[in-house]
Amino acid sequence: MTNAMTMIPDLDIPGSQSTPAIRSDWAAGRLTLQGDSYPENSYELFDQVIAWVERFLSDESRPLALELTLVYLNTSSVKAMMDIFDLLEEAHEGGRPVSVTWHYDPRNERIAELAEEFKEDCSYPFAITPTPVTP
Amino acid sequence: MKSRGEEGLLQRVAALLAEPRHADNPLREALEALYLQHRDQREQLERLMNISDRYQALAREAQQVTQKRYERSLRRQQKLSRISDGYQALICERNQTLHEEAHHDALTALPNRRLIDEHLARLDRDERSYTLALLDIDHFKQINDAHGHDVGDALLVAITRTMRESLRDYDLCGRWGGEEFLLLLGETSLEEASRIVERMRARLARVQVFIAGQPLSVTLSAGLSEHRAGEPYADTLHRADQALLRAKRDGRDRSQLAAG
Repeated sequence: MTNAMTMIPDLDIPGSQSTPAIRSDWAAGRLTLQGDSYPENSYELFDQVIAWVERFLSDESRPLALELTLVYLNTSSVKAMMDIFDLLEEAHEGGRPVSVTWHYDPRNERIAELAEEFKEDCSYPFAITPTPVTP
Repeated sequence: MKSRGEEGLLQRVAALLAEPRHADNPLREALEALYLQHRDQREQLERLMNISDRYQALAREAQQVTQKRYERSLRRQQKLSRISDGYQALICERNQTLHEEAHHDALTALPNRRLIDEHLARLDRDERSYTLALLDIDHFKQINDAHGHDVGDALLVAITRTMRESLRDYDLCGRWGGEEFLLLLGETSLEEASRIVERMRARLARVQVFIAGQPLSVTLSAGLSEHRAGEPYADTLHRADQALLRAKRDGRDRSQLAAG
């Protein structure tokens, strides 16, 4: 009987008008989410993201970096992001190097203010950086 | 004090029981039984109290954990609501901006045809009286052709500014088409509207834009029509348009009034 570790496949979900593009890179320890998020079934969408994060944090000991360029989030997407940030906080308290970089269009400062609200209870590196967006 | 008193009494009883001279006392046996029973009961009571104290401590701990969990979940809920409200406000603002953009002309910031249509429909519904004036810049195409669209745009912006200044607060001025403007003069008769439009045309004729230091000015033609009670606004518009056409045919730089 083989006891090979079952690999969790990387996520590569193309974005749509109402869902963010989601891409994970297990080898690089990176997860990117980009775009608006008001999916019809946000649990279905975010459950796989949360599962990937949980799996990476438990199976690996390497750093994990989140790269976010999220614009609009509906309430259940906000909750899902808070859950992910909680997972990172827990890992960070356990000595794991984790980080978040939240990119926003400098023409839309309100997004930065909302990212600050997310950041509030996070003690790990959480950068909110204006990133010029080419239309 | 009480327990010390009790302890003292027990010690005295134990000492009496231990004394050999009381060995044959008929009360000794009963006293000894009482003494032993009392000691057992005291031990049991102490154990009970111990157990009870431990239960209480556990319950208190559980309550503290629940309280902490509750507070944490409350904080999370508040954070969620706060952020969610923020996004909702963002969407509201975006909607307002879109609404503004959808109802105004990008160059002159004047109300566009969509907004004017909505206004006119409302006036019809409310059975209000009004007079419409369609104004058109004379030979505007020639200006665009000769000097380029930048100059044409600058002229439109300059004309718009003066037009706004000449209107009463409750009048509406919109950009109807390329070089065509619509004035909506509420509760205004054709005669009064005519005076307003003539004054405005005179002011607009004095508006200048400069091209390489050379002043450029234009004239405008106007067609006016007073809304007839019960008439759909499209008909009023049509009559204003016909009047404007006559003004153009009659040589431009003039107003024509549609027959009431």
